[in-house]
Amino acid sequence: MSAEGLLLFAAVLLPLGMAISCLSRTIRARAPSLLVFAPVPAMLAAWLVPNGVSVFFPAPLRMTLALDRPGAILLGGAALLWSAAGAFAATTMAGRPGTPGFAVWWLLTLTGSLGVFIVADIASFYLVFTLVSLAAYGLIVHEQTAAALRAGLVYVVLALLGEAFLLLAFVMLAAGAPDPNPLIRDAMAALPASPMRDGILALVILGFALKMGLVPLHVWLPLAHPAAPMPASAVLSGVVVKAGVIGLIRFLPFETALPAWGAMLTTVGLFTAYYGVIVGITQQRLKTILAYSTVSQMGLVATILGVGLAHGDPAAPVLAAYYGVHHTLIKGGLFLAVGVGLVTRGSHLRPILLLTGLLALSLAGLPLTSGALAKIAAKQMLGSGIATIAMTLAAAGSTALMLHFLAALKRETAANAETPETPGQVAPLLVVAAASIIIPWSLYPGLPGMNLSSAVEIGALWTLVWPMVLGGIAFMMLRRLNGLRGALPEGDILVLAEKCAPLVGRVAGTFAKVDSLTRHWPVAGVLLVCIAMLLGGALLSRP
Amino acid sequence: MLPANALPAYVTTPGGFLLVLAIILPVVAVLAMLVLDPRHARSVVGATILAGVAAALAIAEELIRTGAALIYVVGGWQPPLGLALRADGLSATMIAMTAIVLPGIAIFARGLQDLKPETRNGRAPTTFWSLLMGVWSALCLTFIGQDLFNLYVALELLTFAAVPLVCLDGRSETMGAALRYLMFALLGSMLYLLGTGLFYGAFGTLDIRSLSAMSDDRPAVSVALALMIAGLLAKAALFPLHLWLPPAHAGAPAAASAVLSALVIKAPIFLTLRLVAEVAPTPMAAIAGKILAILGAFAIILCSVMALRQARLKLMIAYSTVAQIGYLFIVFPLATGADALPPWGTIAWTGGALQLGSHALAKASMFMAAGIIAEAFGHDNIRDLSGFGRILPLSAATFGLAGLSLMGLPPSGGFIAKCLLLTSAVLGGHPWLSTTILAGGLLAAGYVFRVMNRALATPQTPLIIRRKIPARLEVVPLILALLAVLLGFVPLEPLGLLQIGRPDRPAETMP
Repeated sequence: MSAEGLLLFAAVLLPLGMAISCLSRTIRARAPSLLVFAPVPAMLAAWLVPNGVSVFFPAPLRMTLALDRPGAILLGGAALLWSAAGAFAATTMAGRPGTPGFAVWWLLTLTGSLGVFIVADIASFYLVFTLVSLAAYGLIVHEQTAAALRAGLVYVVLALLGEAFLLLAFVMLAAGAPDPNPLIRDAMAALPASPMRDGILALVILGFALKMGLVPLHVWLPLAHPAAPMPASAVLSGVVVKAGVIGLIRFLPFETALPAWGAMLTTVGLFTAYYGVIVGITQQRLKTILAYSTVSQMGLVATILGVGLAHGDPAAPVLAAYYGVHHTLIKGGLFLAVGVGLVTRGSHLRPILLLTGLLALSLAGLPLTSGALAKIAAKQMLGSGIATIAMTLAAAGSTALMLHFLAALKRETAANAETPETPGQVAPLLVVAAASIIIPWSLYPGLPGMNLSSAVEIGALWTLVWPMVLGGIAFMMLRRLNGLRGALPEGDILVLAEKCAPLVGRVAGTFAKVDSLTRHWPVAGVLLVCIAMLLGGALLSRP
Repeated sequence: MLPANALPAYVTTPGGFLLVLAIILPVVAVLAMLVLDPRHARSVVGATILAGVAAALAIAEELIRTGAALIYVVGGWQPPLGLALRADGLSATMIAMTAIVLPGIAIFARGLQDLKPETRNGRAPTTFWSLLMGVWSALCLTFIGQDLFNLYVALELLTFAAVPLVCLDGRSETMGAALRYLMFALLGSMLYLLGTGLFYGAFGTLDIRSLSAMSDDRPAVSVALALMIAGLLAKAALFPLHLWLPPAHAGAPAAASAVLSALVIKAPIFLTLRLVAEVAPTPMAAIAGKILAILGAFAIILCSVMALRQARLKLMIAYSTVAQIGYLFIVFPLATGADALPPWGTIAWTGGALQLGSHALAKASMFMAAGIIAEAFGHDNIRDLSGFGRILPLSAATFGLAGLSLMGLPPSGGFIAKCLLLTSAVLGGHPWLSTTILAGGLLAAGYVFRVMNRALATPQTPLIIRRKIPARLEVVPLILALLAVLLGFVPLEPLGLLQIGRPDRPAETMP
C-alpha cells in the first residue's frame, strides 16, 4: 500500500483508535487533551495526498478510500476546525466529570465526519454516515438539560428517518450493479439509465437534505446546535452538516443534466436560504441565530448544486465544496468567537468583537473575505438567471441576520463577569479565523474557470457591496419592530409537528388494543384455526 | 410424480456419526445428572459442552471439507422403514450457532448462580442444567431430522424442556405463563401431528426427501401443509399467535429467557422453512410464502410498537423477539419468488439465515444484560434505570451493540441481513415489504434508543445497587453481542456455505 493510502487510512483510523482506546480508564481521563491531534492525519491527507488517489482495503473491510477535489477541499477545512475546536474543548471543559465521556462521542463523530469525505464505496459511506449521525447525539445531549434532551430526541428521530431513506436509496443503487458493494462513482455512472432513477434521486435528496437542514427538514438544527457545549456547536454547525453536502455531491449525477430535479433542488435551496434568515431574525439567543444562519447558508449550497444538476455541470461539486469550506471555517469560528466573547471583559473585548464582526460579515460576502470569494465563484457558475439574482439578494438577508447577531452579542457581552479568557481559548479562534482567510484564497485560483483577478474586479465587488448596504438598511428598519423579537419559537414548524403527537399516541393505542385482544385465549384459539383454514383454503384453491 | 423406490438410497457419509453425537451427548449428560449427586451437575455440563462444541465444529469442518451434506442412516434401515439424519449447509450453520450461543448462556448461568452460593447446587440450578441439555439435544435433532414424525418428537422434546425453564423460580405468575405456553404449544403439536398423519396416509412415508419428490397438488397435501404450518406458527409465536411469548420469555430467569428467545423459538421456524421450501410444490410454496409474509409484516410493525410501549425491560425485549421473528417470515416470498434461482441461492435466503444468527446472538446477549440489570438493581423498570450505564458500563455497551444488530445499523449482522432482504424486496418488486423492513428498523431503533438514553442519562437521585455484579459476568453477553457485530463483515452476497447439500435431489432423479 502506498504512503498516500496509509495517510488516508490513518485519517479515519487514528480518531477511531483513540475512541476505542478510551475503553481504558486512564486513557479516557487524558483523552480531552488529545482531541486536538485526532484530525492531524486528515489535515495532512487533504494537504499532501494528490487528488485521484484511491486505495482498496480487502476483506473483511472491503472499504475503498479515495480523495477527489471536492472531498479534499471539505476534508481540509473540516479537519482544521475539528482540531481547533478540540483544543477549545480541552481548555473550556477540562476537569468536569462528564468530559471524558464527551471526548469519546467527540472522537466517534469526528471519525464519521471525516470519513464521509474520503470513502468511495456505498456500504462504507453508509457506515461512516451512520457513525457521524448517531455519535453526534452524544454531543447534543451532553449537558443533559431538558432542552438538550428534547433536541436530542428530535435529532435522533429525524436522523434515523434519514438513515432509512438513504439505506433504501443505496440498496436501489446497488441493486442494479454487478458488484454487491459498488463504488459510488460506478453506481452514479449507471444511475441516469436506471429504471428506479427518480425514486433513488428523491430518497437521496430527502436523506441528505435532512442532514443539511433544508426546509422543512431543518427543525432539528436550531434545537440541536444551541443545546450542545460551545465547541460541539462549532463542529456540528461547521462540519457535521457538511456530511449532507458531500452526500449530495457524491450521489447526484452531475455529468447528466436533470432539469426537473435541478429546478426542484434550486427552489428548495433558495426557499431555505430566505426562510433561515427570516426566522433567524426573530430569534434572541446567539447560538440559535447562528444555527438559523447555517440553515440559510446550506440553502445556498443546495442552490449551487441544484443549478449544477439542472445543467449537468461537473463544476458544481467543486464550487459547492468551496462554498462549504468557507462556511465550515466561518461558522466554526463564529461559535468559538461567541465562546470567547462571553467570557471576555474590558479592553480585550473590543478586538474579539471586531474579529467576530469580520467573520460574521464574511458570511454576507464582505469583499476580500472568504465569503466574497465563495459568492463570486458561485455566481460565475450560476450564470445570469433568476438563481443569481436570488442569491445576490440572499446576501442582503445574511447581512441583516449577521447584524442582528452582532447586536445580540454586544448586548450579551456588556454584562460579562470578571473571568479572564485563557490563551487556550483565544488561540483556536485565531487559528480558525486566519485559516478562513488563507485556505479560501489559496484554493481560489484552482477553481474551475477562476483566477485571482476576478476576485478583486470592481464589477464583482459592487455586486457584493450593494446587497450588504440593502441588508444594513433592512436591519435598521427591522430593529424598530419590537414585535419581531421571539415571535417564532426555536425549531419553528416543529411546534406544529408536535401538535400531532396525540395522534401518534392514538395509533399506538389502537395497536395496543389489537395486541391485548389477540392475547385472549379464545381469540388466539380462533385465530389459530382461522390461519389453518386460510392457509388450507389458499393452498386448495390455487389455480 | 416419482415412486419412492426410484429415489437413491441414503448412504451414511464418513462423518455421519457426528450427527448422532450431537444429539446423544446432551442426552447422556441429562442421564448422568439423574444418577450423580447435584454437586457434579456443573462438571457434567461443562464436559458435555466441550464435547458438544467439538462435535458441532467437526460437523461444520466436515461439511466444508467435503462440500456435501452429512448423512447418517440409523441402524442401516432405509426410509420409509428407517430414519435418516442429514445436515446440509443451513443445518450445520444452525448447529454451529447453537453451539456458540448455548455455551455462552451456560457460562452466564453459572456465574449468576455463583452470586447466591447457598443455592448453587440446589434443586433449581440442577433442573436448569438438565433442561438446558434437553433443549440442546432437541434443537440438534430438529436441525438434522429427515422424517416428519421424528421431527415431531424433536419438537415435543423441545417444548417439554422449554416449558419448565419458564417457571424455574416457581412463582405463581411464571407458572401461569408456563401453562399458557404449554397449552398453546400442545395445540400447535396437535395440528402438526394431524398434518403428519395426512401425509402418511397419502404417501406411506414421512421422509422429507421422498415427500419432496412425490408431493403434488392433491388436496391432502394442501390440507396437511396448512395444518402443519399453522401448528408450527403457534409454536413460533408469529403474530397473531404470540399470546404466550411475552409473559413466558419475560417471566423466565435471565439465562432461560436467553435460551428461549435466542434458540428455542428458531426451531419451529426452521421446520416451517423446510416444509415450504422442500415439501411444498413450488406453486403452493409461493402462496404459503405470501400469507406468511403478511403475518410477518404485521408482527414487525405491531409488536415493535408494543415493544416501544413496555415499561419493563424484559417485556420490551420479549416483544422485540416477536417483532424480529417477523423478518424471518418475510424471507419466504423473497426466497421463493425468484424464477431464475433456487430459494437457497437467493440473497434473501442468506439474509434470512444471517437474521436468524444475528438475532440469536443479539437477543441472547440482550436478555443476559437485562438479567444483570435486574440482579443489580432489583427491578427492570426502564423509567427508573437512569444512569445505569455508569454503574454497569459493560452491560450498557452490550445492550448498545446488540441493539445495533436489532436496529439493522452497520456494522452488524442485522445490518447485512436487512440489507440483503431489502435488496431482494426491491429487486422482486415488493414495495410494501421494503417499507416494512425499514419501518421495523426505525421502531427497533426507538426501543433500543429508549434504553440507551436511560443508560447515558445523569439521574437526579443515584441508582441504588442491590447486588454488586462481577465484571466477568458482564463479559459473556458482551462477547455474544460483539459476535453479532462481527457477523457484519460477511460479504453482501449469497453465502456458499448455505448452499452445500442443496438441492437434496441427486442429479440422476431430476426430470
